Amino acid sequence: MSAEWLFYVFSVLSVLGASGLVLFRHPMSGAMSLIVTMISLAGLYALLSAKLIFVLQLIVYAGAIMSLILFIIMFLNIQTIDLPEEKGRFYYLVGGIILISPIASFLIKVVKSLPGSEATIVGSGFGGVKEVGLVLFQDWLLPFEIVSLLLLVSLVGAVVLAGKRRLNK
Amino acid sequence: MIQNYLILSVILFSLGILGVISRRNVFTVFMSIELMLNAANLSFIAFSRLHESMDGQVLALLVMAVAAAEAALALAVVILLHKHKGKLDTNVFSLLKG
Repeated sequence: MSAEWLFYVFSVLSVLGASGLVLFRHPMSGAMSLIVTMISLAGLYALLSAKLIFVLQLIVYAGAIMSLILFIIMFLNIQTIDLPEEKGRFYYLVGGIILISPIASFLIKVVKSLPGSEATIVGSGFGGVKEVGLVLFQDWLLPFEIVSLLLLVSLVGAVVLAGKRRLNK
Repeated sequence: MIQNYLILSVILFSLGILGVISRRNVFTVFMSIELMLNAANLSFIAFSRLHESMDGQVLALLVMAVAAAEAALALAVVILLHKHKGKLDTNVFSLLKG
């Protein structure tokens, strides 16, 4: 079955991209591998038949947010000398793995005990713009408005923080 | 079937936590936080597919908007701190410490 194969390909790609983000030293390489993760996550959303979220993941995450991060990394012109020397990062990594792995294995055990659905077939409108929009503007109207306020506040905050001119320099 | 997606979400979230606690580059820490938000999104959408309701997808949409706001603010703060300190080390950025 091709959906199974696609799932395995996308999940291996996303895990590889995430580990590349953790392991690469330069943030540019990390951002590139995070883009691989974002695109393969978009493929996973398509496999879960969430069409609108698939498109938005490609446009907003892999397009807008990651290009903003790449733009800032290039704007600051980071050389290898500017990077912080992370001598003990492998010790921190091993300690983090020791710390995280019991919690992660517990969560995986919990998830495995969920009552699973064996590939039920959803309607053709599942995850489309109309269905998501109906739920968004009927049941989630107040959170939607609060998010719009949050975006406005962060816009003003970014302009105030980054656009400050220093006159006394 | 849905369990595999949730297991993948757990793995990606753990990798994000590992990135936050093991790295000192401020960009890498920020991108690890984005990775954790993505893992949460994946589990939202897997649950929305499991229960065949749209609420999980709407929540994933809201998480995307919050991530965009966070990216704008966090990068502005990084630019400001880089202008002040000239470094990208998270240990240098301890201005709020008493």
